[in-house]
Amino acid sequence: MKSTHYSDKVLDHFRHPRNTGTLKGEDVARGRVGNPVCGDLMEIYIKVRDDRIEDIKFKTFGCGSAVATASMVTELAKGKSLTEASRITRQDVANELDGLPPVKMHCSNLAADALHDAINNHLNKEKQKPQSVKEVRCQKRAIIGEKEFLNKGVYHKIDDLLVFKDKRVLVLDRGETSLEMALKLTKQTGRVVFVTSSKDIAASVTLRAKARQSDVKFLYQSEVLEIRGTDEVERVLIHDLDEDEEYELFVDSVIILQKERHSSEKKIS
Amino acid sequence: MSIYFDYQSSKPVDARVIEAMIPYYRKEFGNPSSLHIEGDEAGRIVEECRESIADFIKAEPDEIVFTSGATESNNLAVIGFSLRNRAQGNHIIISEIEHISIHNIAKYLAKNGFEVSKVPVDQYGRVDIQKLLGRITERTILVSVGYANNEIGTIQPALEISELCREKKIAFHSDAVAAEGLLPLDVGRDRIDLLTLSSNDIYGPKGLGVLYVRKGIRLNPLIIGGGQEKGLRSGSENIPGIVGMKRAVEIMEKEMEEEVERLGKYRDRLIRTIPKIIPRCHLNGHPTQRLANNAHFRFEGIEGESLLLSLKDKGISVSTGSACSSMTLKPSHTLISLGLLHEEAHGSLEFTLGRFNKEEDVDRLLQVLPGVVERLREMSPLYE
Repeated sequence: MKSTHYSDKVLDHFRHPRNTGTLKGEDVARGRVGNPVCGDLMEIYIKVRDDRIEDIKFKTFGCGSAVATASMVTELAKGKSLTEASRITRQDVANELDGLPPVKMHCSNLAADALHDAINNHLNKEKQKPQSVKEVRCQKRAIIGEKEFLNKGVYHKIDDLLVFKDKRVLVLDRGETSLEMALKLTKQTGRVVFVTSSKDIAASVTLRAKARQSDVKFLYQSEVLEIRGTDEVERVLIHDLDEDEEYELFVDSVIILQKERHSSEKKIS
Repeated sequence: MSIYFDYQSSKPVDARVIEAMIPYYRKEFGNPSSLHIEGDEAGRIVEECRESIADFIKAEPDEIVFTSGATESNNLAVIGFSLRNRAQGNHIIISEIEHISIHNIAKYLAKNGFEVSKVPVDQYGRVDIQKLLGRITERTILVSVGYANNEIGTIQPALEISELCREKKIAFHSDAVAAEGLLPLDVGRDRIDLLTLSSNDIYGPKGLGVLYVRKGIRLNPLIIGGGQEKGLRSGSENIPGIVGMKRAVEIMEKEMEEEVERLGKYRDRLIRTIPKIIPRCHLNGHPTQRLANNAHFRFEGIEGESLLLSLKDKGISVSTGSACSSMTLKPSHTLISLGLLHEEAHGSLEFTLGRFNKEEDVDRLLQVLPGVVERLREMSPLYE
């Protein structure tokens, strides 16, 4: 069966999704599951009154069945008590849609999970517990291959920006200087990726605004584990700290600016 | 009838081709191996077609082997060559962005005692000659790099690759299916040793392909039988198919120049206009070294299968590199090899134009696409 062989009901919900959007307010909880790396990310917002889901909305990045299952789960959950809603399963959602292509049962059937996540977050909020926020580890591990490929694609300092003309450049977050370097590089190449372990751009307001408007691609909550290649840099292994997943990215250059040590050196001399 | 922008995956057979084929199903049905009148006529027509098709790529007729299609040609070229020439070495090199058939053939060889290296491409999809050189060893016997990429349309520096191969005494195979009918092919000029062609990719019938085998290149056959095609590919000749491909070649030779110019104009219009009318959209592949029929984009914050389905609802047929529409649920290896992140590869759409597209088709696409993208972006948690 083709992965896009959808039932009429799936197609109807894809074409006319119910309850799209977000909700705001004190009594709103959000559930979020999936991962854009796998091609599906889903958010469900619930507004709860007297233990009942009074309103529900969704946002999704994903394929046809991702949209349809999200739309269906909002219909199923709307007006239900939290207990009833937490009993809605992936299978229920698929059944209500007259089935999903087998290959999509796993990956694009996240809607029930997103709903349960929203309900849990609501209950945790009631108990005054902080919502489950994954801690970001910022430890600076040694990068495998950094020494091996030094000046063969790995750069600790930049003398000539023209070296990077039309190259895929990865810049590691080493403070504002490195971010400024990434912005400068966009004049040389269309592909600049900035890797940072933080959740957002850590920089002054003006620099952050400039960065947001730039063509730099930001990889948040990520770290480089390994630099790979044959004679020169060809790929890096990236660790997504949020999802705890590893994946390879094809690049030509990796810039790891070194902290300047002038002040301490001066003291010694 | 929908507006079709997926010529890369399949092409309709030209009506003139079908007309040429029909007599060979009923009236001229002979087997070239037979000695009677019908057999003689069949033998004559096969050789006549072989000449025309050889001419199309500036080869000699006896360098043309008919197969059942491009996949078989790739198998015969890469497996047939590797097995036959194993004594010279067991190492072959392919590019990261080869067609899936070449990747899987390489995997098969790797399981059978061969070593396979993959040469990376730059951000536009061009093979880096220095990196290719860096992978060549004394045991390397074959390099296989497609003439142009089937997904993103990037044209490879075939001559540079073949010169390097010649210098290192390595055979060079090129799958030219994506380039067929869009670029003038000349195996002499480009010094190619093995070249894969498909009939359907020049609007000929399906089920017929060609492998060009330069004189002096030795292959092991993969299909054993009555010894047809000089023993390289047994099985009774698919004469209607061969006649159809010959007719397709004739038409292409006459019309290619005009057709490429016309499709190139449509492509340029798409490449110029789409990033203008849709924010945060990027061209995949090479800005200039690309096939005249290929426009490939990625749209931030949305997923390709949703885009494809939405366009399908508007009667427009396209293709995507998204994982969600593939059987394996993996995004296109070609897009990943360009250095794209998975989420970027998921948001890609491929438009491949062809003989029966009209200017109005492009008008319609440009009219519909912004709304489709906007609707999905409104639903997306990744787009603000």
